[in-house]
Amino acid sequence: MAFRTIVVGCGAVAQRLYRKPLAQLAKQKMIEVVGLVDPAREHADAMLSAFAGARHFTTLEEACKAARPELTLVLTPPHLHCAQTEMAFAHGSHVLCEKPMANSSAECLRMQDAARVANRVLAIGMIRRYFPAFARLRELVQSGALGRLQSFEYREGHKFEWAVTTPAAFRPRAKGGAGVLFDIGTHALDFLQSVFGELAVHQYADDAAGGVETNVAMRLRAADCVGSLNLSWDVPQVNELRVVGVASEAVLRIDRFDQLAVGRRGAFVPQTTDVSFPVDLGLDPKRVVPRSYSDAVLCQLVQVLRAIKFDERPAVDGQGGASCIRLIEHALSKASPLPEPWLAPREQAAAAQLHGSS
Amino acid sequence: MNTIAIVGAGGFVGTSLIESLVLSGNSGVRAVVRSYRNMAGFCRFGDAVEVRLADATREAALVKAIAGAAVVVNVTTGPPAGIVESTRAIYNACRAAGVPRFVHLSSAVVYGDVEQPIDDDAAPLDKHWMPYARAKAESERWLRAQGHAGLEVVVLRPGIVWGVRSPHTTGFARSLARKSSFLVDGGAHVFNGVYIANFVAMIRAACDARGSVAGFYNAGDAERVTWREFYDALGGALGCDPAQLPVVNGEKFPWSTGAVIDAVQSLAPVNALYHRLKTHIPDGLKAAIRSRLEGSYSFDRHATAYATVASVDRELWHLQRVRHKLPVKKFAAAFQFSTPVSFPEAVGRTLAWIESLGLAVAAPAHTIEFSKASNE
Repeated sequence: MAFRTIVVGCGAVAQRLYRKPLAQLAKQKMIEVVGLVDPAREHADAMLSAFAGARHFTTLEEACKAARPELTLVLTPPHLHCAQTEMAFAHGSHVLCEKPMANSSAECLRMQDAARVANRVLAIGMIRRYFPAFARLRELVQSGALGRLQSFEYREGHKFEWAVTTPAAFRPRAKGGAGVLFDIGTHALDFLQSVFGELAVHQYADDAAGGVETNVAMRLRAADCVGSLNLSWDVPQVNELRVVGVASEAVLRIDRFDQLAVGRRGAFVPQTTDVSFPVDLGLDPKRVVPRSYSDAVLCQLVQVLRAIKFDERPAVDGQGGASCIRLIEHALSKASPLPEPWLAPREQAAAAQLHGSS
Repeated sequence: MNTIAIVGAGGFVGTSLIESLVLSGNSGVRAVVRSYRNMAGFCRFGDAVEVRLADATREAALVKAIAGAAVVVNVTTGPPAGIVESTRAIYNACRAAGVPRFVHLSSAVVYGDVEQPIDDDAAPLDKHWMPYARAKAESERWLRAQGHAGLEVVVLRPGIVWGVRSPHTTGFARSLARKSSFLVDGGAHVFNGVYIANFVAMIRAACDARGSVAGFYNAGDAERVTWREFYDALGGALGCDPAQLPVVNGEKFPWSTGAVIDAVQSLAPVNALYHRLKTHIPDGLKAAIRSRLEGSYSFDRHATAYATVASVDRELWHLQRVRHKLPVKKFAAAFQFSTPVSFPEAVGRTLAWIESLGLAVAAPAHTIEFSKASNE
């Protein structure tokens, strides 16, 4: 039986990441997309061509009443996640909510409570859990193959290229905006916590100067090691995660699916990255190694369906999603101005002064 | 405060200009961008920047976006095929909206390899192998042909804009860190650069000047620097000794398969078709092509061995054979201007920025002591 599914938010994330894998699952009769929710008709139209049986709705409430979804995909800007998730649960639907889970840990708690009361699955979309190189690195670290851990260095930055359809993410935080920390930071922190266990923020600095942060530098502590995290929306970082153990060092290329190497003293040997995930709802499911974003989203969707059908735990549940938001809040509560020694001294002073107003 | 409207504000020059204006306390900063995603670079300044959406090739949308501005600055980037079109549209929009001054960014590349000494008012080359250079030259010629009644046009012609956020600079830094760069004729020729903060200061001077300042101006740093001196300045922090880089002859371009592909792509119809098709290629296929072209990833951030045979990029080969520094006296005289950042200071700032990207040689995190000022 196909799960009746609605998509809430038909902008860039829905169109670029979800449309193809949803169409694949619909073809295999695992889901049936019955509703597309977006106040902008043209966004829904971009999805409707792939799902002939779906109806367009301008509000979620209307969709929940008319389409009676079993699964709701919340793909809207983060400031809408909490209310939309609560509404979906109130109508008896399971929910896959794209990261970041919400804009505050208070909202995360409300979402978790709503899931508990409705007795429904709450999964958070963290696509990188399904990147084979990421999964392989996690196995390597947790198996002790690198020896006792010493440190990690995570760097990710590039010119922001998502064809977002609203300016929501770029508004000041008081107006519902969220900067690079909420955007790629949630991916990074979720993955780092999945590898190293619970993290604590030791130091945090960002370049917010009246708005939301574009560049971030953090120092973190895990139970067994220390690490750093640098993120950017406007300049290219080296885009690597380096994990240093006493026995060897691992390097993961962040922007590739399958690029992982292990070595010592700077000489690295590429590793096989053949970690696979289920792609059907059988008891002995077929598995594939994701090789594209589309594959990874498909695996993520199948895992949510399996969580609903077999009571399996999603890769990231409400608790996992909320722990990232708590970590981010902790960081932001201690934010100091990011050192920018390349600015003139008077500009550095002005940036530091504006940082306080962010 | 008079409003400065920056068209194409999401690029690195636009972002740097906004940064300079906001951190100097300017209140009239308006960013004109084609799509919301271009806000990412300057959203750190929040409501200090007014944002308006407009496609730089659509005159009607531009007229609304720039209405009320005292100056419009064109810092658009994008496919060469759109450069002339956007120049015309912005110019016409300025006239229609009654904007008194238009600051247009051209490029020193319109003079090719600067084989002979040249002054600011020399006409651009008629022919050039690079579509970007041809488009910039055509834009200049079109602007020269206009009457400009009621609109003051200031054209700035920068060399390589280098330093913080500069894509050229990250390219140089990466190739030095990988020891895969090269030097044409041993790096003896002129690095015709302008440090980003100096260039931003020049744009601001062009915006702020009183009286008539219309004209064409070269934009560059004060010092004459060779490529070898430039690479020496950056190389140490990146673990690279430029003396060990391969030397390439500057008389005849060393053709390779990659260079032939570049040459075919630079043919006007092919280039236009490439940029039109590029937007229709699915992301997955684009990533696969990029991955194939890039080859296997080198995990050695700092290579131990120097390349013996250089893979020579045609644009960089031409940039490295520039014979003469473009004069910047005209701008200095017209705007009572001297560059605020010296070459050594600019190098220091650039290296600090490169370090923040993780490109410079650095110690692993566990060997660096955490400061006592924890905010746990």
